[in-house]
Amino acid sequence: MNEFEWRRQLRELRAPVAPPRDLWTGIVAALEPAAPAARKSPRAGWLLAASFAGLSLLTVGLSLRQGQLLDHRQTTTTVANQTPWKPDDPRLAGAAIELDAARLELRQALEQAPNSPALQRLLSRTRQQQSRLRQLEQQAG
Amino acid sequence: MPPPPVAWSDADDARAAADGDRQAFQRLYRQHVDRVYGAVYRLAGYDHARAEDLTQDAFVRAWQKLADFRHESSFGTWMYRLAVNVALMDIRSRGAHPVGFVDDEHLPDPGEVPFCAAEREELERAVAKLPPRARAVLVLHDVEGWRHEEIASELDMAVGTSKAQLHRARALLRRMLQPGESS
Repeated sequence: MNEFEWRRQLRELRAPVAPPRDLWTGIVAALEPAAPAARKSPRAGWLLAASFAGLSLLTVGLSLRQGQLLDHRQTTTTVANQTPWKPDDPRLAGAAIELDAARLELRQALEQAPNSPALQRLLSRTRQQQSRLRQLEQQAG
Repeated sequence: MPPPPVAWSDADDARAAADGDRQAFQRLYRQHVDRVYGAVYRLAGYDHARAEDLTQDAFVRAWQKLADFRHESSFGTWMYRLAVNVALMDIRSRGAHPVGFVDDEHLPDPGEVPFCAAEREELERAVAKLPPRARAVLVLHDVEGWRHEEIASELDMAVGTSKAQLHRARALLRRMLQPGESS
């Protein structure tokens, strides 16, 4: 095989790929919170998002460790329609909703402060927690 | 006789979406999501969870920036560039925590490593294992067809650095695709 053929193989990787699930629901959910009020007070939004994400991560960590059933009825009611992925296990479902809401808040906050390392770290940790939840769901069958 | 089906153009939908029409934006999403997702998926190292997240981010940003879209290019091209930029921002933000680490100590000169035929999945797995920045340069240049000047601009690096990263990425890729290489 020569270099030309090898490069051709690489170019063939360029193909449209359908997402494994419909992302539109999550996009619509993320469009909702883009309220003008949040833009007027970027510092307040920043702090609120950071606090909320930190609290969510703490809650998820404690819940997963202790295997306790999370009771997030109010939050579930508010955010359920915005969550694209919901595990069947109620313990994981509550955590998934919290994490998704935290991620959305953080993305908004990053709009205001895109270079904030703290926010980027929090977003990264939130995504890692979401990946961990998916793994837990797979393990649970 | 029933009326003919209404055909929407991307340009019409983009204008309507900029005025707040979510149905128009949803049509744009349906029309372009596969191309956008494909590019983001490759840049994210073939990680579906991250690619989903970044694709959603990209469309949300598109919605927020539609008022700035000047129609100088097609909506598809604008959307694609925006999504690639979101994926690259994610790579930059993970600078201290590279995903998919490959030991490139004692990296052989690419000329010493023969080209090997590889199945598509094998090639994708190898690309996914590249260090994020090297993968980004390789994907943008060799797969997406970007020029080094464009890559350097988007990744905030010198053109020479982009070329060096490509050289490194190709060498790593060829080494990983050698028979007997399981890493």
